[in-house]
Amino acid sequence: MNRKVLVLFSALALLISLFGVNGALAQSPTVVTVWFHSGQGAERDALTAILESYNASQSVYRAEATQLPEGSYNDQVNAAAVANALPCLLDFDGPNVYNYAWAGYLIPLDDYLAQEPELAADLIPSIIQQGTYQGKLWSIGTFDSGLAIWGNRKMLEAAGVRIPTSIEEAWTLEEFNAALEALRAVVPPDGYPLDLKMNYGAGEWFTYGFSPILQSFGGDLIDRSTFQSADGVINGEAAVAAMTWFQSLFKNGLTSATPKDDNVFKDGKAALSYVGHWVYPEYSAALGEDLVLIPMPKFGERAVTGMGSWNWGITSTCNVKDGAWDLLKFLLKPENVKAFAEASGAVPALKSVLEADPRYAEGGPLHIYYQQLTQGVAVPRPQTPAYPVITRAFAQAVDEIAKGGDVQAALDKAADTIDKDIAENNGYAPR
Amino acid sequence: MAATASVRRKPSLYAAERRLALLMLAPAAILLLVFLLIPFFMAFGLSLTNQRLISPNPTEIIGLANYRELLDLRFIPLEPRLDPATNQPLRDSNGNLVYPTVREVLRANPETRFFRELAQLDFFGTRYLIAAGDATFWRALFNTFTFALIVVPLQTSFALMLAMLVNQKLPAMNFFRTVYFSPVVTTMAIVSVLWFFMYNPDFGLINSLLGLIGLGPYRWLEDPHSALFAIIILSIWQGVGFQMVIFLAGLQEIPQELYEAAQIDGAGRWQQFVNVTLPSLRNTTIFVVISTTILAFKLFVQVDVMTFGTGGPFDSTVTTILHLVNQGYRQQRVGYASAISVIFVLIVLAISILQRRVLTNQEN
Repeated sequence: MNRKVLVLFSALALLISLFGVNGALAQSPTVVTVWFHSGQGAERDALTAILESYNASQSVYRAEATQLPEGSYNDQVNAAAVANALPCLLDFDGPNVYNYAWAGYLIPLDDYLAQEPELAADLIPSIIQQGTYQGKLWSIGTFDSGLAIWGNRKMLEAAGVRIPTSIEEAWTLEEFNAALEALRAVVPPDGYPLDLKMNYGAGEWFTYGFSPILQSFGGDLIDRSTFQSADGVINGEAAVAAMTWFQSLFKNGLTSATPKDDNVFKDGKAALSYVGHWVYPEYSAALGEDLVLIPMPKFGERAVTGMGSWNWGITSTCNVKDGAWDLLKFLLKPENVKAFAEASGAVPALKSVLEADPRYAEGGPLHIYYQQLTQGVAVPRPQTPAYPVITRAFAQAVDEIAKGGDVQAALDKAADTIDKDIAENNGYAPR
Repeated sequence: MAATASVRRKPSLYAAERRLALLMLAPAAILLLVFLLIPFFMAFGLSLTNQRLISPNPTEIIGLANYRELLDLRFIPLEPRLDPATNQPLRDSNGNLVYPTVREVLRANPETRFFRELAQLDFFGTRYLIAAGDATFWRALFNTFTFALIVVPLQTSFALMLAMLVNQKLPAMNFFRTVYFSPVVTTMAIVSVLWFFMYNPDFGLINSLLGLIGLGPYRWLEDPHSALFAIIILSIWQGVGFQMVIFLAGLQEIPQELYEAAQIDGAGRWQQFVNVTLPSLRNTTIFVVISTTILAFKLFVQVDVMTFGTGGPFDSTVTTILHLVNQGYRQQRVGYASAISVIFVLIVLAISILQRRVLTNQEN
């Protein structure tokens, strides 16, 4: 009797579970939760469209996306990690990946990528370089970034300034200084030669945008041989020289610490705009043929620019990791990488897309980005879990220096903040 | 027999009342317990550890180390540099003594390796360096108190003035009441962004207006001398409408006969204000002062938005709460931020007790 009941129950349970699973698969696909930062309008629309096409393309998984504001994105990710409420797949500003990987809330993607040799071979090297920490790949971006100087051709020609068209022809520091002085005469009275996008405020832009100047002068944010100390590097002679020059731009009225708005360059109030790829769609719409992309100047021995942008990672708490990878694979499909790059002006993360894009080809409007990324000009931001503290400390120093503070004191403070944080975290030893 | 019965019934009556009292107390008591007392004790517990927001390293109990870093102040006598040749104090071209840099002095001692200078002062011919384990915290305390000491009296007086202004029986008064109240119902983050643009040194509305009368331009938020002041002005502008409404309600409660009696006694406008209006508004004023004080100590959003979370330039606008958020969230030092919150609660508690003492003494 008892046995019969048991068998009956087991059979019933099996039946229910079978039907349950099948039913669930047939009717409602498994949900893959996704978080992404709400960037500029065109980027956002492109990504939303890609996610919609993913949901329409198959019925095994369904992407459920949440957009979060960019300003406090990192704070929100940390809060969610503490509360065990991270989504399966999320994007984050590139250099945060080392901290996330160290803290243990991402999984390595090497095994997944190994199953897709075509994709692995197609990714541009800078994407792999930036996503790698402790010998493993933790994140993949669908695009990389480009940082150089946008110029207004009419103003440059009126001022008689040479326009470099390749990284070999990059301005030297003296040439750049002379160009800025010459451009004073051609900008309107309420304008200035160089727009530095200071209106973005003390945040990741300050580090992404201005640490290459530090590096070109021969300094850096941290000693990259050990990642244990910033002292003597971020506040060393070369770094102080770099930031003293940077401060002179403000003191001499060559740029503004308080731009009126985001449109200074578009409105013809500035001749040069030092900013990344993301303004390309609006700048080219505003200036058309007059828009030129000028390679990063050689402040010291060599030119340096930034690399890396927003990346995707899969969380360790995700219970449909295969689904998250499936979605990430979809985001990395050539047509989607292309669509997103076209909407944002970013550098596509796939060689096949990048090389087929006439904008990046020789003579194209964005060829400089291609050169900078593939010919050793671009340097990743420091690959250490201390990065979130490094970037805050440096951004605060840039803010103080732009507002006229003592350069050495501001950089000393940043060095101490970073070294103290590293000491408190036992050197960020890998787990 | 009847007496004993009533004696016996009495405690049960009390018990029923007590039960009812407890029942009615319960919602508030539970809320206070869950959202105030328990978090406070948790914060105290965390403040004794090196808890990080996100870290694979295990949390360790570190005793009072967080409090030591937070409150440590050192007075370090500075020795002038000596000329290696003569062993005499070195002097610069103006004949002033040459001192080693602050960073050199602090780094020479491993205990003060990460200290920062608060001030230097000359005392009986010796120069002293005042250094703090957390210079930003002391600056934050100073800024918060400065803010409260300026905002509470100013905002309270402005609110009373506005309330008397809109209490007149003139046409369109409701329109003005609404206008003065509207900043209160606007989110502080939005107000801060708007004022951020208004404070722009080259294009902002405020400098444009000052320019008309030949003043400025001022670098409101970029200059460490004016940044906190700029935030004070915007905070008063945003908050004053709320206190105005409370004063307005208080003003309308004052019986008209009091003013008539005062007029018959020959009191002028000013005398009526001092002898009738102010005393009648005593309780309202107490409420306004206490609530404004508490709001002033919570200063955070304006500074966070307008300085991008830096509290700059040069810590000139950093506040206790901003420092707490920066340490706990953005530097991920949860244990340390908990120590800040415990100290902050103690300070606010002390001020509240002091205010209560003063106000009840007045009552007696």
